[in-house]
Amino acid sequence: MNQTMLRATIAQCKAELLRTIRNRRFVIFSVIMPVLFFFLFSSAVGGEKVEGVDFTSYYLMSMTCYGIIGASFTTFSQRLSRERSQGWIRLLKITPLPSWAYIVSKIGAQAVINLFIVVMMFLIGGIGKHIDLPVSTWLSCGAWIWVGGMSFMALGTLFGSMRNADAVQVIGMIVYMGMSVLGGLWMPISTMSSTMQDIAKALPTYRLGQGAWNMLGGGALDWTGVGILAAYVIVFMVLSSYIMKKQEAV
Amino acid sequence: MKAAIQLNGVSKIYKDKKAVDNLTLSIAEGTVVALLGPNGAGKTTTVSMILGLHKPTKGTVKLLGGDPGDARVRDRIGAMLQDVSVIEGLKVGESINLFRSYYERPLDLDYLLKVSNLESEKNKMASSLSGGQQRRLNFALALAGDPEVIFLDEPTVGMDVTSRQLFWETVRAMAGKGRTIVLTTHYLDEADSVADRIVVINNGKIIADGTPGEIKSETTGRMVTFVAGPTVTTDALHRLPGVTDVEWSGRQVKVFSNDTDALIKALVLENFDMRDIEISTGGLEDAFQALVQQAN
Repeated sequence: MNQTMLRATIAQCKAELLRTIRNRRFVIFSVIMPVLFFFLFSSAVGGEKVEGVDFTSYYLMSMTCYGIIGASFTTFSQRLSRERSQGWIRLLKITPLPSWAYIVSKIGAQAVINLFIVVMMFLIGGIGKHIDLPVSTWLSCGAWIWVGGMSFMALGTLFGSMRNADAVQVIGMIVYMGMSVLGGLWMPISTMSSTMQDIAKALPTYRLGQGAWNMLGGGALDWTGVGILAAYVIVFMVLSSYIMKKQEAV
Repeated sequence: MKAAIQLNGVSKIYKDKKAVDNLTLSIAEGTVVALLGPNGAGKTTTVSMILGLHKPTKGTVKLLGGDPGDARVRDRIGAMLQDVSVIEGLKVGESINLFRSYYERPLDLDYLLKVSNLESEKNKMASSLSGGQQRRLNFALALAGDPEVIFLDEPTVGMDVTSRQLFWETVRAMAGKGRTIVLTTHYLDEADSVADRIVVINNGKIIADGTPGEIKSETTGRMVTFVAGPTVTTDALHRLPGVTDVEWSGRQVKVFSNDTDALIKALVLENFDMRDIEISTGGLEDAFQALVQQAN
């Protein structure tokens, strides 16, 4: 890799970050909403226990997941769709920027954004609500949500393969909200009926949250959750690359 | 002279439709070539294949002696494509700098802002620009890497008169520095004034190729134009010697002929009701119309 490529990849990554921070939808769904919900519900239900864990810290994990998933759903997928339908990808193809650099910069930028959300939420929870956890728990939960949350980029890519950016926005929002509620990110699934609990357990949203909740209670890394998330990633990647290949085959 | 672009027997077939049909074309370095043709003639498909965006069904394409997909080739080209919007969430200056970062030897930001006439828009969001300004931003992006070959696909659509003038001035200056320029446009007067060479494409085939002067003189471009009185009819005009076409706009009529001398004599002898008579060579527009009609 030569200097220009390195410089181009870094510049591309910076541009992605700048665009995300400037995106109003990102600020609403990944910053304001999780923070607001966290304060609202932890104040209302605080002090109780969920699955043997203090509700406030449990809900901090839920809302951190919610913010990260939102970043992939509302911001990333719609941008991808726009860039494809408005000819950006075509224009980038005739520049010397390699296509891997484009993908790397998207993933890199998303990693920075997700890390920012984790750190922001944990600071708010730790300082604002005096959540007291061992350092190792903060780190393991944070690392899980950060790394596990990247799997939602695959789902974002699938939505982004649709050409109609407005449809992506609407459908993405419905699926995002629906999966967040059904997956127990808004309210713990222990408050749901057993059928709803079974549905929740198959959802990637629940699996991301559950990994963190489990570690809060002192549990180790949940390999079932890892397996389910990995399966989703593979299915979504295969589906979206199939769709994109089909669209390009003219 | 070295060829900047070389197409050998290139065809592109979509399902059962031939968009480009066995096209062979060589474009020398440092020339300004305009590709003309009606909508759907295959211009954009040809440009896409030269740029490596589409693979030819048959034949070979060489750009700067190499494969258009090669990053080293791409470092030396730039393009304004059709239907490309601007990048959302970035300012004008930021967009240009992003593109500058892709190339080995980019041009200065200030220079690019100047030639695209966007100096005062530098800190505006690219998505808030007007259509014409967005085209100018795309022009700046096309020039970001100081390209040796520049592709301009319908570049001036949406630009106002002033921007258009500055645009063509810049293109001419680029051509003066030995850059190769390939453009497609609907504004034939623009092609006429800027291009060294015009290639007319219809139904995926080249139907004419030459300097603007050659194209105009080779076709049945001569005509007699006058304001006709009420007794003049299309049929009567068609009965005159050598008339190839008759075109009305209001009461003004253009009568095309290979031999305008004989035509004017006949018009006078038969006592046609005429005012404001002019004999002229048609512009590129007329030549173009004639070529496409002949080919069809």
